[in-house]
Amino acid sequence: MVEIGHFALVLALALALVQTTVPLIGARIHNERMMAVGGPVALTGFALTALSFAVLMIAYARSDFSVQTVWENSHSLQPFLFKITGVWGNHEGSMLLWVLILTFFGGLVALFGSNLPPTLKANVLAVQGAIGTAFFLFILITSNPFTRISPAPIEGRDLNPVLQDIGLAVHPPLLYLGYVGFSICFAFSVAALIEGRIDAAWARWVRPWTLVAWVFLTGGIAMGSYWAYYELGWGGFWFWDPVENASFMPWLAGTALLHSAIVMEKRSALKIWTLLLAILTFSLSLLGTFLVRSGVLTSVHAFATDPERGVFILGILLLFIGGSLSLFALRASSLTQGGLFQPISREGALVLNNLFLTTATATVFIGTLYPLFIEAVSGDKISVGAPFFDLTFVPLMIPLLLIVPFGPLLAWKRGDIWAVSQRLMFAFGAALLVALVTGFLIDGSSALAAFGAGLAAWLVFGALTDLAMKAGIGNVPPAAMMRRLAGLPRSVFGTALAHLGLGLTVLGLVGTLCFGTEHILTMKPGQTVEASGKLVRFDGLAEYKGPNFDEERAHFSLLNSANAVIGEIYSAKRLYPVRQTTTTEAGIKTMGFSQLYISIGDYGDDGSLVVRVWWKPFVTLIWGGGLVMMAGGAMSLMDRRLRVGAPSRRRKPVGATPATDAA
Amino acid sequence: MTRKQKRLSVIVGGLAFLGAATGLTFYALGQKASYFYMPGDLATASLQPGQRIRLGGLVEKGTIQRGQGTTVAFAVTDTQKSVKVTYTGILPDLFREEQGVITEGSFGTDGTFVADSVLAKHDENYMPKEVADSMKAKGIWQESTNE
Amino acid sequence: MLFWVIAAVLTLVASLAVLLPLAAKPKAEIDGARHDLEVYRDQLSELDRDVARGLIQPVEAEQARAEVARRIIRLGGEENSGDPVQRPASTSLRLISAAAVLAVPLISWGTYARLGSPDIPSQPLSERMLKNPAESSVDELVARAEAHLEANPTDGQGWDVLAPVYLRMQRFDDAANAYRNAIRLLGSNSDRQSGLGEALVNAEQGKISAEAKSAFDEALKLDAANPKAAFFVAMELAQDGHKDEAIATWQKIRAGLPEGSPWLEAVDQALARAEAPDVPVANGPSKDEMEAAASMSPEDRASMIAGMVARLDEKLKQNPKDAEGWMQLIRSYLVIGDADKAKDALKRAVSVFGPGSEQAKEFIAFASSNGLEVAE
Repeated sequence: MVEIGHFALVLALALALVQTTVPLIGARIHNERMMAVGGPVALTGFALTALSFAVLMIAYARSDFSVQTVWENSHSLQPFLFKITGVWGNHEGSMLLWVLILTFFGGLVALFGSNLPPTLKANVLAVQGAIGTAFFLFILITSNPFTRISPAPIEGRDLNPVLQDIGLAVHPPLLYLGYVGFSICFAFSVAALIEGRIDAAWARWVRPWTLVAWVFLTGGIAMGSYWAYYELGWGGFWFWDPVENASFMPWLAGTALLHSAIVMEKRSALKIWTLLLAILTFSLSLLGTFLVRSGVLTSVHAFATDPERGVFILGILLLFIGGSLSLFALRASSLTQGGLFQPISREGALVLNNLFLTTATATVFIGTLYPLFIEAVSGDKISVGAPFFDLTFVPLMIPLLLIVPFGPLLAWKRGDIWAVSQRLMFAFGAALLVALVTGFLIDGSSALAAFGAGLAAWLVFGALTDLAMKAGIGNVPPAAMMRRLAGLPRSVFGTALAHLGLGLTVLGLVGTLCFGTEHILTMKPGQTVEASGKLVRFDGLAEYKGPNFDEERAHFSLLNSANAVIGEIYSAKRLYPVRQTTTTEAGIKTMGFSQLYISIGDYGDDGSLVVRVWWKPFVTLIWGGGLVMMAGGAMSLMDRRLRVGAPSRRRKPVGATPATDAA
Repeated sequence: MTRKQKRLSVIVGGLAFLGAATGLTFYALGQKASYFYMPGDLATASLQPGQRIRLGGLVEKGTIQRGQGTTVAFAVTDTQKSVKVTYTGILPDLFREEQGVITEGSFGTDGTFVADSVLAKHDENYMPKEVADSMKAKGIWQESTNE
Repeated sequence: MLFWVIAAVLTLVASLAVLLPLAAKPKAEIDGARHDLEVYRDQLSELDRDVARGLIQPVEAEQARAEVARRIIRLGGEENSGDPVQRPASTSLRLISAAAVLAVPLISWGTYARLGSPDIPSQPLSERMLKNPAESSVDELVARAEAHLEANPTDGQGWDVLAPVYLRMQRFDDAANAYRNAIRLLGSNSDRQSGLGEALVNAEQGKISAEAKSAFDEALKLDAANPKAAFFVAMELAQDGHKDEAIATWQKIRAGLPEGSPWLEAVDQALARAEAPDVPVANGPSKDEMEAAASMSPEDRASMIAGMVARLDEKLKQNPKDAEGWMQLIRSYLVIGDADKAKDALKRAVSVFGPGSEQAKEFIAFASSNGLEVAE
């Protein structure tokens, strides 16, 4: 029953209000009972939101066109998967997914927070509740997914064809898990500011949550990039589009947070900075939501936009960012400083990392919002695209990438830069070799390509050196080395994996940007084209009928030097009759880490076809590196010290476990 | 160096770094941001040859010429003036006559606009935001007012 | 009814989630300092491990230990000087608790009463399809037939039945498609060909295309007495400017029609329109009228034009769903220089088709392209 979902949503709003107020007052007046309300209410709120979401999903699955969003974004002939993913393939449903994930994280704190000081837990849940309240109100007032139509239309208007793809099943949920995951770090920071003190337990909690959010956000961005790459048919994987930047800014800030949280957790230093960074990271997530949902910037992501919604989200944005930053200004001075360290030390390297990453975040921020600013001031319309970011973001990243291998090898408090340099000699030599081989043997035309390849190798070998050194290579016999390697904390492996993934991504970028080729030509059936040594023959066109679309497929054969067919590729134009929309389906053939990418265009007067063929060496490493980074993050999470819910090995005091879901 | 001097040098170094980054950012904004024009604005705009701009408007009816291999020629108009544009490559799926379009590139020596990218992404009103705003400002196009 | 029961249960569960912790026995006070102490101890033991692995030099490790120790000492100090916890009066506590518990049902039921539509049941498509056909709307029956044909696209009978229904529902493109399928699967006959022609003509807003013409010709070949085909063939003649031949054909059809045929009226109307020099339905001044106007004095001409425009206006009041007519009217007012009336006509035209509709947008674009200043 659809209305049950609607009612559950309203009930979840009521609980969010209670979750905001009662534990907050309880923490203020030290009332145990009132503080204990937070946990069960957060869990029940999550259960109700999940119920509401499930009901909406059932309405989509059963093509219940009496629900307006179902009618607008679904069609009875759509494949079942797209009926389900259509739930969040539109504004209303995606906002419901947003709060579902928000309450999910709130529920996690309630479940696993039994070893948190009760006032901290109560305050964290209250801040979570406040964010929830704002977004429940937003959904119910401006974008209610349960608006009904009576009498119900008999057929829906179909999901936007560009979204009818497996990418929609993966990309938004991952991205939102990342975005919203940072709300926990935000809630912890604001809670600490409300209390006016940072518990040592606080530091233990922020890092795993940052890691969780960061892992999901990394996956979400990588997946979104790959989706755009194969779905838009333009062959590009990153457009510096405002919506992409909107997800990239929290990632950059979140990466900085991840690193500063290490210092805070291990050395109790950089507390205030970490707290500010946590606030900024989630603020950037909110800003991203605002940019995407308000439509103030032109973007390749064509969401339906509505000024009223934009104003509402802007209000939420100002409330939370303004409120938290004012609180920070008031309270930060009362927080105590932590441990001391020399500039050249592990801490120093992490500070440098933060300096570069936050500056890079700022350049992306300026590049994204400058057009808005200029339009408001002078009325001129400008666009800031790839050339700007190539000139600002890239120069900032290169020195950062150069110092990455040093960081994990430096000692805490006071490091020896010469000793570390000596240890990195092997990695440096290997990188130099790769750069020279690339420069002289493969392509002598571009010094940048050689440098890039060397940089990628430097990162990869640097990460491996870290592991080898920590295992005691050269100092202990091989058997002992293996033992030591196995005994290393998982977070050491996590660091090495994440840095290695970064190197792989750089390798993919360099390969694609410096060694990729592109051919645009008209082809008639039987004609062949050579792209970087790959022979491609255009075989002809064929019609194909899908469940809710008609396709015209252009078949291509991949030939070897003896003209024998070694593979087939097809690229297509797809017509979705319900919306009268055409999409291009790129034909992609993966060979090793590289890909051959074909997309087709219009027909010429003589029956020939415009064909665009790209050869993209190592392109899959761009996203593969992202996966390795995710694996690194996940590995770090499994570290004994960081396991969620077990930040310290203390026995729980008797009676400290709050009541679980009272329902 | 005393501890105080050390701290001071770190702070000065950090500030210098931030200053350099800020300088670079604003230099890049001045150099690399491309301005948006409609065909009617071009007479008053002082454009350097080869300067990158975004040209937006409607694809004029009956001006799309294909068949010259992979190069397509068409005219972009704001219903008052129009500019000839050439583009080599594959046009987006949503590129149609009398629909909004944004092209990015620079003017060639013969006064033809050579585009290296063509965007025809738009909302359900078939109009990119910049084009819609500019045309509204000129009173050529109207949005329905019931929303 | 079931809905209200479930809603009540959900509300109860939500209220209990607030009530139970508030009513539970107060737990032993846990000191935040004990949590911190555990973390500091863990930091100390971790330092030992780091020294063993060479991640920190022994001298620095000693310093770090001292830092942690200082924090532990400070913790002890805080513990001793900790604020005495204020206990608020239990009445105010009870009040807050009661308010919190009551807030849940009040807010949820209050909000839902404003937003919800509890009386609309779920309507999954498959259930609607299973309903007794007698209770279904035409839309539902058509959807059912469409679902059937989607599964069995070679069922020619199905297409043949559906095609005229589409035609009546004014889904002309679908009708043409259905007729084509029926012809392909069941073979050509006169009714199907003339139906296809009619669908095509309507899809083109009355213009008879070459494809429609050949469909009608085919229909007449199969059945020379098919009135629909004959009627449209005559219409095609009229559209081509062969008015006399068209009139002759229509008169011939009329003679051959039996008493009470539905085509009698259509043919009569067509004849009246073709024979009368008058403007057909809602149209601008005819060619003759324009010629006549040219030879008049300026005053006469103005009054004649004004009369024609008024006539057009009157016709549109009776038959407002005529988009062409509205555009004619707007232009006519602009030609005679009456911008206010033109604006008024635009406003009426927009309101007929609904503001924001495709047609309304077209009107506005048309008006502004003809020089009418259209304010927001």
